[in-house]
Amino acid sequence: MIKEIRPTVFVVDDDAAVRDSLRMLLKSVGLPVEVFESGQEFLDAERDDRPGCLVLDIRMPGMSGLELQGKLNERHSILPIIFITGHGDVPMAVEAMQAGAVDFIQKPFRDQDLLDRINQALEKDAGSRRMLAERNMIRKRLESLTPREREVLDLVVAGKANKVIAGDLNLSQRTVEIHRARVMEKMEAHSLAHLVRMVLEVERTEE
Amino acid sequence: MKPLPSPLLDDRKPDPRSEGPQRSSRAELELKSLLDAAVDAIIVIDHRGRIEQFSRSAERIFGYSSDEVVGRNVEMLMPAPYRAEHDGYIDRYNETREPRIIGIGREVRARRKDGTIFPCELAVGQVAEVQPPRFVGFIRDITLRKQADERLRRSEAELRLAQELASLGNYVIHLDHCEPDYYSPQLHRILGISAMDDNVPLTTLLRLWVHPGDREKLDDAIADLLSKRGACDAEYRIVRTDGTTRYLHHIAQITHDAQGEPLKHVGTIHDVTDRRQSEDEARQLQERLTHFSRLSTMGEMAAGLAHEINQPLSAITMYAQACQRFMQSPQRDDADVMEALVQISAQALRAGEVIRRLRQFVKNREVKREPVDCGRLLDDLRTLAETDARLHNVRLRIETEHDLPTVYADPIQLQQVVLNLVRNAIDAMIDAPDTRREVVLSTRLLPEGEIEVVVADHGSGLAPDAAEHLFNPFFTTKAGGTGLGLAISRSIVRAHGGRLWHTPNEGMGARFHFTLPVSPAPKGE
Repeated sequence: MIKEIRPTVFVVDDDAAVRDSLRMLLKSVGLPVEVFESGQEFLDAERDDRPGCLVLDIRMPGMSGLELQGKLNERHSILPIIFITGHGDVPMAVEAMQAGAVDFIQKPFRDQDLLDRINQALEKDAGSRRMLAERNMIRKRLESLTPREREVLDLVVAGKANKVIAGDLNLSQRTVEIHRARVMEKMEAHSLAHLVRMVLEVERTEE
Repeated sequence: MKPLPSPLLDDRKPDPRSEGPQRSSRAELELKSLLDAAVDAIIVIDHRGRIEQFSRSAERIFGYSSDEVVGRNVEMLMPAPYRAEHDGYIDRYNETREPRIIGIGREVRARRKDGTIFPCELAVGQVAEVQPPRFVGFIRDITLRKQADERLRRSEAELRLAQELASLGNYVIHLDHCEPDYYSPQLHRILGISAMDDNVPLTTLLRLWVHPGDREKLDDAIADLLSKRGACDAEYRIVRTDGTTRYLHHIAQITHDAQGEPLKHVGTIHDVTDRRQSEDEARQLQERLTHFSRLSTMGEMAAGLAHEINQPLSAITMYAQACQRFMQSPQRDDADVMEALVQISAQALRAGEVIRRLRQFVKNREVKREPVDCGRLLDDLRTLAETDARLHNVRLRIETEHDLPTVYADPIQLQQVVLNLVRNAIDAMIDAPDTRREVVLSTRLLPEGEIEVVVADHGSGLAPDAAEHLFNPFFTTKAGGTGLGLAISRSIVRAHGGRLWHTPNEGMGARFHFTLPVSPAPKGE
């Protein structure tokens, strides 16, 4: 479902000419683009969970680029941000990078530099979304396990042999083997290593 | 000496002590009444200086009765040094017959009974055909005349002094030539000539010397004077023969007689050079400051200006690059290319406009820091700020705390900040009613060890929209504004380690505050 929405480049810049020229440049390379003249307008449009990336002017009256970044972070947005900075905005750019921006580019810039950064950002966004989707899938599979299957899974992931697990859970070794096969099937694991990787992936992000 | 009045009747009884051998003679009585009728004191003395006759007016003037003085030496009526010398004068005359005073008259001093000394005119005559000779003195008390003379002299001196102090000269030209024209000494001084040449009329002189740039003003003034109005009030410059230029304020009027014929041309000429020069200096200082405000903080401004130029340049770059891509694309749409090209020229013009504005800002001046007393600074600014305020019918109030610690700053830059804030305050009240048109400038010491300067107005206050962009370079709400004043002011204050911000004023208007750390200098520069 997510893959059906084409990634869009969102542009937020208060300067009409810069905004429009960015729109046209992106249009010329066939990238879908949406422009906004203020951070508030972008927030109101609720585009921050859409695939794509954000090209953001760091200096804007009202809500500055950095403030918009802060608000998006509060919303747990994963939208990658490329900041457009002017001459002498390096300290602000550093701050933006520390707050999680993927990149910044100083005006005036060559189109290819911006397009390269946008492509990288879009790839990163796609990667993040893929990873998120995968985690969601793993979580769904985990949720499909029965409590007993979950107990067996945890002990398998902890590296215990079937015999030990049977002893721990006061089950027959044969019953443990059946649960373990069900777990492998429900989790769609190709191997024990695959199973362990999936569980660790989800647990790491849930900590 | 005026002639003695005709004899009048004397009802006074003869004094028994003054009785002499000829006392019953008719001539003697006639003389006596003659003497008594005179307004001037008349005193007859003998060749040794002893008083023989003392007229009634003498009694009145000197305060002695005749009895008290007859037979005594006349020197009793004289103060030193005449007193001591009088006998010598008489002796000399008796010997040489050379008149020193007789028939001449002179101004001397005399002594009254009460000891006071008074000025008098004395004429002395010798009684002819009598041996030994006698002398008649006619004494006129001129105290009142002297006082009047002195008052006149003093008021003339005061007028002259006043004219001198005020650099004001006056003149009266009698157009009917009945009296000689009058030109006050100060007028001579103003025009730089020792005496007015009667043959050259004043207006001709002025026409000759008027500054070429003001010739029209003078001609208009003279035309006004000769017109029905018969008056003029003009200011013009003259170049004097010594080569100096003076600013004259000339007010004149022509008076007419009952028939409407011009009688007198009366006028004053006020040398206002000093005032004009100090006004010129103030204006020059202001121009320097304004000029300076355009270029002072070029370094600080660089980022803002670069941003302003970068915007159109970025847009142009992107439009042009979009064009290239559109052109290379097999399914290109010429409308896109066209649109991008239109935008490119518009943005190029926009960049040009920024550069045009930039041209007004030339190279930077060296910034000099020194300890500055903010109270003094505000006082020094008073004239300059008041000129501005008065021009816009705004009152300026300055409230300073005494003995404020100094701040380490560039005074010119600080003046620029304050002037800029004052000017904004004045501009904010452009539509305010008269009662509200007041700017209050104050300075005080904050507990944090900072000096705070506040400029408060009662204008319309700040719209939230404007407040947001207030410090952005090139943001302005004024028709002729550059939008740099506050941006520059803020960067100046920041460069001094202080802050600049605004709050609403109680009731109405806005307050702009800035702080400066007290000396020594902040390390953040």
